[in-house]
Amino acid sequence: MRLRAWAWLALSSFVADLSWCATRPHYGGALAVDLSTTFNTLDPAELPPNLASSIAETLTAIDARGELEPRLAESWQREADGRRWRISLRTRVLFHDGQPLNATNTAPALLAALKKTHPDVVVTAGGQTLVIQSDQGLPNLPVELAAPAAAIIRTGEGSSIIGTGPFRVAGWEPGRKLTLAAFEDYWGGRPYLDSVAINLGSSGARADVFDIPFASARRILPENTRVWSSSPRELIVLVANGVEPAVVQALALSIDRVPIVNVLAQHRGEPAFGLLPEWLSGYEFLFETPPDLARAKQLISGVKLSPLTLSYPPTDSFARAVAERVALNARDAGITVQAVPGSNGKLRLVRWLLNSPDAARELDRLAVFLGVSLRVNYNGPPKLQSMFTFEGERAILDSNRIIPLVHLPLVYGLAPRVHSAEKSPSTGAFSLRLENLWVDP
Amino acid sequence: MSFRTKIFVSITATVVLAVWIVAAVVSAFVTTSFEQRDAQRTATLVAQFHREFDRRGADVSRRIEAVANSDTVQRIAVNLAGSHPDTGQYYDAAQALASDQSLNFLDLVAPDERIISSAEWPARFGYQESWLAESVDWQAQGTFLKRVELADGPALGLITVRTVKAGDGVLFVAGGFSLDQAFLDSLPAAGLHVELYRNFDPQPASGKLAAALVEDVRRQARELTRTDASASVTAIPLLGRDHQLLAVLLVESSRSELANLKRYIQGTATAVGAAGVLLGLILSFWTASLVTQPVRELASSVRKVASGDWDTRASIRSKDEIGQLARDFNQMTQQLTEQRDRMIQAERVAAWRELARRLAHELKNPLFPLQITVENLQRARQAAPDQFDEVFRESTATLLAELNNLKQIIGRFSDFAKMPAPHLEPVSLNQIVADVMKLFEAQIHAPGHPRINIQLQTDQDLPPIPGDPEQIRRALSNLVLNALDAMPQGGTLGIRTSSLNGQQPAKVALEVSDTGQGLTPEECERLFTPYYTTKQHGTGLGLAIVQSVVSDHKGTITVESQAGKGATFRIELNA
Repeated sequence: MRLRAWAWLALSSFVADLSWCATRPHYGGALAVDLSTTFNTLDPAELPPNLASSIAETLTAIDARGELEPRLAESWQREADGRRWRISLRTRVLFHDGQPLNATNTAPALLAALKKTHPDVVVTAGGQTLVIQSDQGLPNLPVELAAPAAAIIRTGEGSSIIGTGPFRVAGWEPGRKLTLAAFEDYWGGRPYLDSVAINLGSSGARADVFDIPFASARRILPENTRVWSSSPRELIVLVANGVEPAVVQALALSIDRVPIVNVLAQHRGEPAFGLLPEWLSGYEFLFETPPDLARAKQLISGVKLSPLTLSYPPTDSFARAVAERVALNARDAGITVQAVPGSNGKLRLVRWLLNSPDAARELDRLAVFLGVSLRVNYNGPPKLQSMFTFEGERAILDSNRIIPLVHLPLVYGLAPRVHSAEKSPSTGAFSLRLENLWVDP
Repeated sequence: MSFRTKIFVSITATVVLAVWIVAAVVSAFVTTSFEQRDAQRTATLVAQFHREFDRRGADVSRRIEAVANSDTVQRIAVNLAGSHPDTGQYYDAAQALASDQSLNFLDLVAPDERIISSAEWPARFGYQESWLAESVDWQAQGTFLKRVELADGPALGLITVRTVKAGDGVLFVAGGFSLDQAFLDSLPAAGLHVELYRNFDPQPASGKLAAALVEDVRRQARELTRTDASASVTAIPLLGRDHQLLAVLLVESSRSELANLKRYIQGTATAVGAAGVLLGLILSFWTASLVTQPVRELASSVRKVASGDWDTRASIRSKDEIGQLARDFNQMTQQLTEQRDRMIQAERVAAWRELARRLAHELKNPLFPLQITVENLQRARQAAPDQFDEVFRESTATLLAELNNLKQIIGRFSDFAKMPAPHLEPVSLNQIVADVMKLFEAQIHAPGHPRINIQLQTDQDLPPIPGDPEQIRRALSNLVLNALDAMPQGGTLGIRTSSLNGQQPAKVALEVSDTGQGLTPEECERLFTPYYTTKQHGTGLGLAIVQSVVSDHKGTITVESQAGKGATFRIELNA
C-alpha cells in the first residue's frame, strides 16, 4: 500500500514538471477556432472585441480594470478646455502592408469614426502628431478613441482590412471563415501563433478553441477540455413595452434569479440586479433585491391584469429556458406570462454584450440599445464618473421598463494543447486574446 | 257534412290511423334495437378503454422502472447522497430520459420533494412536489391518474412513481403518459365519438347534453347516460389516486342514424298516409257513386214530391237497404197519391154537396115566394076574380123580382166559374184603393147606414205592380164589402198600402182591417173555402174569389183576427 502511494507521488511529480514545461510559451503553430456566431464584415465595430483588437488597434485602450491606457497613441494632451486634443502617435508602428503608421494615414479612419458623433470635428495631421478639435468640445476623446469603431485601419483588397494588430487578415470568406496570420513586424512583438483559422457559425468542439454558448441543454465537452470564462460580459434582460409599472415591479420581485444562475447557467454568471456587472460598475449590489412574492402580489392587487407575452430569440434555447422560468415565477405572483419565440411580445428577453470595460460608455450604449433616454452627464471629473453612471443606471431602472436577470460570461473551451501567456488565463479576463495564446508543438 | 264526405273522412282516418300505428310500432322497435346496439357498443368501448388504460399503465410502470434503473438516475442518486449535492447539473436529465423511454411526463424529484429535473416543464426545477411527501408504497400503488401541471395549462397523466435510494432519502422518479385525445383516438371507437372532459378545463364539455351530464357526474361521481334527439351520451367518471374526480370519459353515440331511420319511417308513413287519403278519396267517390247515387236520386224524388209532383218514382237499383228504401218510398208516394186522389174525390163530393146545399139554400129562398105568389094567383082567380088583376100585377112584380134575384144568384155562381186569367199591366195599387173607396163612399154615407170611420194610409212611394186592375179592384171590393158586413153596428175601416223593402223580389202589401166581431181560429182556417160564409146571406164566394185573384197574381193572402177585435186581411203582391 505504501509502495503504491509512493509510486503515485512520483508519477504526479513527473506530470507536474511536464505541466510546468508546458507553461513556457512556444512560438509557431496554427490555431483552429470554432465560433458559434458569425459575421459578414471585418469592420472592427462589428467584430467580436478580442478579434477586432487582434487585427486593428485603436489609439487608446481600456484595460481589464477599466482604466485608460495608450495603444497606438503614445500620449495625448487636452487643450482649449477640451475642445482640442493633441495626440502623439507611437513610432515604429507598421500597417500589415508594411506602411509605417503616421498622422497622415491615420487621419482618414479617425475622422470617419469621429464624424459619426462629432459632425464638426476637424483632424489635422502632421508627422506623428494629430490635432483633433471641435467647437462642441471633446471632453472624453481618449475614451472615445478606445472604441473598436475608432480602430485605425485602411481598406485592403476586396472587403479585407489593413490594420496594425498582431495578426493580419490572410483569408476572408464572409460569414464562413477568417484566416489570420502572424504579423511579423508587430510593434508589440510577434504573436506566438503562426496562424489562426476561425470557422464561423460552427458549433463543433473539435477545434483548439471554441466558444460555449449558453444553452438549455448542457454541452458534452471533449475529454480534458479546459473551460475559459471571461468576466460577466453578457446581460440578459427583460424589456417591457406598454406594461404597467406596477406589473413590471411585481414581475421583477417575483423572479428568483439564483436558480437561473445555478441551474440554467450552471453556476456561471451572476444574478443581475443592475445593468452593469458588479466588476465593472462597483455598485450593482446597491440594486440587489431578493424575490418577494408577497410584495409582488400586493403591488398588483389593484391592477387589472391581462396575460403578457414574453418573446425570446427563436433560436436561443438558453433564452427560452430563462423565459419559461420567468413565466413560471410570474405565475406564482399571479401574473400570467406566456413565453413565445419572436420579438413582438410586450415583454422581450434580450441579450446584450459588453464591448468594453468602460462603464460609462457601455451604459450609454446600453441605453441606446434599450431605447431609453439617459440624461445623466458624465462629463464631470473622472473620479466622480462612477457616481454619475450609478445615477444614470438608476434612472434607467426606475423607468420600470427594464428587469435585469443575469450577467453571463463568455465561455470558451480550450483544447489541452492551447495555452495562454496571461497571468490568470483560466478565467476573469475581459476577453480571450489571440496574441496571448500559444500551442504545443 | 255530406255522406260522401263522411265516407271520405272514415276511410282516410282508418288508413291514416293504421299507418300511424304501424309507423309508431316500427319506430319504437327500431329505437329499442338502436339503443340496445348503442349500449352494447358503448359498453364495448368502455371495456376497451379500461383494458387500454391497464395496458398502458403497465407500460408506464415498466418504462418508469427502466428510468429508475438507468445510469443517469443512479448517478443522480449517488450525487444526492453526497454531502453537498449539486442538482443543477441534472436540469435537463429528465428530458433525455423521457425521450429514451417515450414518456410524456417525467420528473426527477429530490428527497426534499423539490424537482431536480422535469421533462414536461423544465422550468419547474426547484419547485416542490409536496404530494410525493405522502407516506405511500409507490411500488404497490401502481399506475394512477393525476393532474400534471404544464406551462400551457394542466394535463391529465397516467402516472407511476418509483423511488431510488439516495443516501438517507429517496430520489423520486415520477412520470407517465398523457391521457389525451390521442390516447382516445387509439381506441376502436366503432362509430362512437369519444371525448375526454378534464375536470379542470375552464370551458364546459362540448355540447349541451355532455355539459349537463358532466355536471351530474361531478355531483354524483358515477356512470350516467343521457339521451336527447341528436345523441346519446354516456359519462364515465375517472378518479384520481385520492378518489378525486379528474376527468369524465364521454362516449357519444350520434342518433342521427336513428333520426334518419325515423325520418325515413315517418316519410314512408306519410307517403302511405297520403296514398291512403288519395285512396280514401277514390273509394269515397266510388262508394258514393255506388251508395249515395241511389240516395241522392231518392232525395231528388222526395224533393219533387215535396214540390207537388206526386207521380215521381225512385228507381230501384239494388236489393239492399237503399233499394228497400226506394221501394218503400215508391210505395209511400203511391199511397199518398191514392190518398190524395181519394181526398180530392171526397173534397169534390163535399164541394158538390156544399154547392148543392148552397144552391138549394139560395134557390129555395126565391122559390118559396114564387110558389106563394103562384098559389096566390091561383087562389085569387078562383076566390076573387075581381081582384085578380090587382093580384096579378102585384104577383107578377114579385115574380119578376124573385126571378131577378134568382138570376143574380146564378150570375154570381157563373162569375166564379168563369174567373178569367189576369191580363197583367203596371198597376197603381193606391189608385185602385182610391177608386174602390169612391165606389163605397155613397153606400157608407147613405142615411141609416151605421157610422163607419175610414182610415186610409197609402204609401206614396209605392211602386207600380204587374197586375190585372179589374181583378184587383174586384178583390179589394170584396174585402171592403166583407169588412162593412162585419161591422153592422159601425166601426172603423182601415186600408193601408206599403212597400216591403228589403225583400227579393220586391213586394207591396195591401191591408184591409175592420173592428167587427172578429173570427175564430176555425173560421180563419176555412175562410177561403168556396161557398163557406159566416154571414146569414152570402154565397161564400167572395173570399174564394179574392184568394183566386191573389193566387193568379202569384201573391199571398193571410188573415189575422182575434175574437172581438176585428180582423185584418193582408195581401202581398210582387212589385
